[in-house]
Amino acid sequence: MNGASVAAGPPPCRTAGEAARAALERLVRAGADPVSYLRGRRAAGAGPAVGYVCGYVPEEVILAAGLHPVRLGGRPGPVGPADSRLQSFACSFARACLDGLLTLTGSEVAGVVFAYTCDSLRAVAESWRIHAPRGTFFHFLNLPARLKGRGVEDYTRAALSRFAVSLQAVEGGRPVTGESLEAAARLTAAVRAGLGRLAAVRSARPDILPGSTFIAIARGATVLDRGEAARDLDTLAADLEAVVEANPLPGDGAGSRPRVLVTGGFLETEGPLRLIEEAGLDIAADDLCLGGRALAFGAGTEARPDAESGLGPALARLAALYLGRVPCPTKHPPERRFAFVCDEAARHDVDGVVFLLQKFCDPHAFDYPELRHRLGSAGHPSLLLEVEQGALSRGQALTRLEAFAEGLREAMEGGRAG
Amino acid sequence: MKTATMPDRRLKVDSELKRLILRHYLGAFRAKRPLTRRPVAWVTSGAPVEILLALGILPVYPENYGALCGSRKAAVPYCEEAEKAGYSLDLCAYARNSIGSMLSGRGELGGRPLPAPDLLLTTKNICGVVVKWWEVVARHYGCPLFVLDTPFAADGVTPEQKEYVRGQLEDLVDFCLRATRRRRPPREAFERRLREVLDLSGQATALWQELQVLRRNSPTPASALDMFTNLFPIVTLRGTQACVDYYRKVRDELSERVRRGEGAVPGERFRLVWDNIAIWYNFDLVRYLHRRGAAFVGETYTDAWGLYDFKEARVGDPLDAMAELYSLVLLNVGLEVRKERLFRMVRLQRADGVVFHSCRSCKTYSLGQYELARAVRDELGLPTLIIEADMVDSRAFASGPTVTRIDAFLELLSGGL
Ligand code: SF4
Ligand code: SF4
Repeated sequence: MNGASVAAGPPPCRTAGEAARAALERLVRAGADPVSYLRGRRAAGAGPAVGYVCGYVPEEVILAAGLHPVRLGGRPGPVGPADSRLQSFACSFARACLDGLLTLTGSEVAGVVFAYTCDSLRAVAESWRIHAPRGTFFHFLNLPARLKGRGVEDYTRAALSRFAVSLQAVEGGRPVTGESLEAAARLTAAVRAGLGRLAAVRSARPDILPGSTFIAIARGATVLDRGEAARDLDTLAADLEAVVEANPLPGDGAGSRPRVLVTGGFLETEGPLRLIEEAGLDIAADDLCLGGRALAFGAGTEARPDAESGLGPALARLAALYLGRVPCPTKHPPERRFAFVCDEAARHDVDGVVFLLQKFCDPHAFDYPELRHRLGSAGHPSLLLEVEQGALSRGQALTRLEAFAEGLREAMEGGRAG
Repeated sequence: MKTATMPDRRLKVDSELKRLILRHYLGAFRAKRPLTRRPVAWVTSGAPVEILLALGILPVYPENYGALCGSRKAAVPYCEEAEKAGYSLDLCAYARNSIGSMLSGRGELGGRPLPAPDLLLTTKNICGVVVKWWEVVARHYGCPLFVLDTPFAADGVTPEQKEYVRGQLEDLVDFCLRATRRRRPPREAFERRLREVLDLSGQATALWQELQVLRRNSPTPASALDMFTNLFPIVTLRGTQACVDYYRKVRDELSERVRRGEGAVPGERFRLVWDNIAIWYNFDLVRYLHRRGAAFVGETYTDAWGLYDFKEARVGDPLDAMAELYSLVLLNVGLEVRKERLFRMVRLQRADGVVFHSCRSCKTYSLGQYELARAVRDELGLPTLIIEADMVDSRAFASGPTVTRIDAFLELLSGGL
């Protein structure tokens, strides 16, 4: 959770104005080092923050309780104290998460929320429950694995309701009401809308907004104060949209790079994405925990200004929103995600797909052969790379990526010639 | 006390067990033939199989098939088949074994893989892996899949959780009827039949618990190898009369051993508890311990099947009781509960130490073991041993370092006695 292994220097992005550059920097800095951000926030007298470690924790509920939600994604780099708590065959993301949590001093966040997804993260939650500093808030959001079927919606709503009630134990929080939940949902929707505009810029012009920078921004939006994040995203999106309009044609060499969709789980850093770009590929779309999947929520279930304001209906809408989003592979059935990846690959006109598989991640690894097959049938060649401790093994990965890029380029040229 | 020089004494009923296993798998193949047709379901070890049995569906267990392949040291080529198809080497080896055997059309049942399923039932209560694995199988065979979703029961089952699981159990009945194109039996008839099956399950479980109680004797009449081998009926035949009949015989044989003061391990000096799945391809490891006078008097793995106590189900609402029991299985509860159960076993079986098989295949069982081992050492003051291996993929096992660690552990035990 520190920024130790995050590359220094501003991330590549062709903003035009000062305000946009400042917004970009605020977002990226917060995402790269949430712990420092939280300490600074606290020093400035801001209210308590609550950490969460999975995209299935609805930050809407934390916001509605008057608390600051922050996604804690794990400490990149070699495993530290988690080594004596979790075996090496727990996915390195899970180990990094536990590591990050074990190295918190207790003052950064008032508590941590987990959601039930995979076996490894459940083990992290169990371990943390034992070792959390006394008085730290802990909640395990016991979500279903099924997305539809008898009782799923009711059960999800009940789990969310328990979560909302449990947050009252955090000092400085306030009871969640229908109104506060609707307001929080509107704020979160604004953040998602901002990111959605940026995703469109990335797809249209990855030379202006590279995919790695997009994910760095998305990461920042899970850390920065959400009101500020919504404003910053708006500023940045408006600026970049203007840049695209003013520069309708890609610059030298840009546009000839093969376009890829990147699919995988949570990435501790943008390192693997930068390597993909370094190998000569443009990331035009993604199915990552922080990116594409976090944005692809079901339509029609967002908070509505005219909605009934009772807590029950607001929780029901939230349940429907999370059950209807593009699922991660820990949820059943998986078809919606398969379709999403294939549709996105087609919609963004990508030339190939890169699988970033977190080493020891069961859910993603089980889906890989099927997804590879479906993409292949749709004419999208793919490459599988294993991510360990937040990184790719540079030499080997770069060689394979370059060979993949070369193959895609040849196919593109062949296509043009034909 | 009679002492033999044999490394382990086989139970006489073992020969009958072989017949039971054979009969089970032959029955599954017969179920696929036109004249003896019966729907076959692939189910997980934590599945509420009583519902299937009450509806005349024959359950088969790919995990058990994995254990069978493992104990024949035959799993690796099937795992490799799955790996060739793109399934990572790091995935659960039961799953890889099953998928590889399925994809290649080869297997350990007279050269054949498991008979194709007509329907699939997976239950999240043991791990998330089985949901993904069963999805793969469902796509391969194009057959209907039911996912019984059991939320985590860290410290127990909440009312809404129970209601959610119970509702799914009701749905499961409809699913089975639809998948097998059958008409719904009258509710009363179905419930009567379900209670009969639950009663048989309960009887088998009670006998299984009796075996564990008999093992409290010194010397213990059954060690881990007997129990691992004898898991087959309680896992695969639970809910049938054959299962009950078989365990009566095992109980009688163990009682007889106790009466004669005959131990499973000649010259028993240490009493140990085993945590996690057996290492099916390497029983020699356990025999090595036996030869040094270390006997296993309990296993969290075998004990897990003693939890299916269906007393409530036989009197009250069966689905209600099943919703609760199937949520509280060993791998669906929190570490604190697992610790309590482990400590209880150590106390009751009068164990001197605990051996943890850190099984790289099975994250849900293995992650958390470091915390448990620490608790055993710190709170019970007993020595622990961690063995790094896998239940069926022998490629993950390094014999040399393991034996060295076992020796060190035995020294620690000797020092402590
Ligand atoms: S990367 Fe995979 S195994 Fe790791 S926490 Fe995420 S879903 Fe679980
Ligand atoms: S992960 Fe563990 S519990 Fe799940 S199927 Fe594999 S061995 Fe069984």
